[in-house]
Parts: sequence; structure tokens; C-alpha cells
Amino acid sequence: MMKEQVMVTKISVKRQGERKHFQIKLPKNTKFLIGIECGWRLIDKPDAISFKSQLIIGDHSQNLFQRSPLIGELKLQSCEESNWFYSGEVLGAEANLSYGDFSDKGFNVNDCTHGNKRTEEIVKVDAESTIIQGWYLDVLGKSQNADINYEVRVYVWINVEE
Amino acid sequence: MLKATKKRFDIKITQANSTVGDTFELDKNIVKVHGVLVTSDKDDLLYYRGTQKIEINKEEFFPDNYESKLLMSGINVAPKHRYYDLGGVSPGNGRVQITYNDLDDGRSIFAPYRVSLYLDCEMEDEL
Repeated sequence: MMKEQVMVTKISVKRQGERKHFQIKLPKNTKFLIGIECGWRLIDKPDAISFKSQLIIGDHSQNLFQRSPLIGELKLQSCEESNWFYSGEVLGAEANLSYGDFSDKGFNVNDCTHGNKRTEEIVKVDAESTIIQGWYLDVLGKSQNADINYEVRVYVWINVEE
Repeated sequence: MLKATKKRFDIKITQANSTVGDTFELDKNIVKVHGVLVTSDKDDLLYYRGTQKIEINKEEFFPDNYESKLLMSGINVAPKHRYYDLGGVSPGNGRVQITYNDLDDGRSIFAPYRVSLYLDCEMEDEL
């Protein structure tokens, strides 16, 4: 019988523009990789408060449609034929959640109260070798020109045979 | 006859950077658990600081360090679609265990808060 499981891997980032190479070890009975999810956590309080507020609610001072803050780039590589099978961006708060929302009085629009339901990005990759190579590049620190200490979490959903 | 029911279990987080665990028991007449949802009285703290492990019948469905925000749904999501779909698992011995971990995050300031675990269940009608 096949069962779904999720593997959690933490990546610690401390310096601007830092590149991280990491490995994700899968259980031996893994048959397929079926989904990828990402999250991140700010470990130190950044000194730049204006930038902190951007990470929480986005900056709507100009009422323009804006891009969400980019935290970093993530790539995952399988040792199988599929090679690089995932290339994605780790994003901060959804910057345009309140765009065009006329009810934004008293109940501020925020990711935690108005955010959409999270779902994994679906992939379908064989998992014969049980090791995934990962690569992460910091963009947040580089864009702010500061060393920002944060942690990225990569969730790999797998199908295992019981 | 089978009918849908929702169950809620609460834990209190009173200290920053602490781990709180609890085990809850489902009613005997619950035959399936269809979905999971976590909420809080301080959504931002749960969203930014929380991770948890959830086990049902000693089977781990979400491992340690699985972020709470991945199991939250905002008010923009239709009420019928808010739960994370587990696909109808058997509750077995009916024990639901949650181990919640609070961790500092640069975007939040700690205050005591409540974490609520909601389960979307199917139960046999007692009548």
C-alpha cells in the first residue's frame, strides 16, 4: 500500500548572497516525490524597520500593484534522469493581498488572516536513489545589502510503500 | 447513518520558545477523519512562530517542524474548503496527539496565545 509522507529540511542563511548546497535523504521505501513546499522564518530582528513591515504586509503607500518580496531561489536535483526537477522562488508575504479591497478598515488585510490555503507544488519524480541534491541562493540579504539571519524550510512530499 | 462533525481541541502557549504537547481522545463513534485545520486567537503569532507535529492513532501525519501556516486558511477561503484534506483516515484508537513548538521570529512579538486544532470527522449517528 502507498502512503504519503513529508520530509522537512532546514536551511540556515546568515550572509547576504549566500549559496547553500544541501542534501535531503529519503527513506529507502520511497517510490516517488510528489510535491514541494517552502516556508521561511526570520531568526534575528532586522534593524531596518521599514523593510520589516514590507515583509509582513507589503508596501501600499503608492497604491501600485507590487511584486511580493523575494527571499531566495531554490533548486532541487534528482540523481535520476529528471536531473533538476524543481526550480522555484521562496516568497515573503503576498504583497497584493489587499489590492482593491475596500473593506480594509479595522480588520487589516494580512497573510495570516486573509491568506489563501497553501498547497504543495506537484511534481512526479522517481526516487530510486533516495538522495536529493538541493541548492539555495539568498536574495533577501543581497537586496537589502545586509547580513540577515533566517531559516528556510523545504518540505518534500513523498509516496512510500508500506 | 453517518454524519459530518467538527471537533476542536485547544492548547495554551504561555512561554516563548516552548514546546507544548497534548493528547486528545476522539469520540468512539467517529469512523473517519477527513481534514485538519489550525487556528489561533492571535493568528499572526501562530502564522509566524508555530510549527507542530500531528499524530492520529500513533501515525504521524505532519512531522516535527511542519509550519503551522501551511495548515491555516484565511477568511478568503470558502468555509467548505478550509480544511487540509487527509483523505478519510481511520481514527484507530481515537487518540490525536499534537506537539506544538513556538519559536521566535523577527516579525512577531510574543504574548500568550491559544492554538486550536480542528478536525473534520465523520461519525456514526448514535440514534
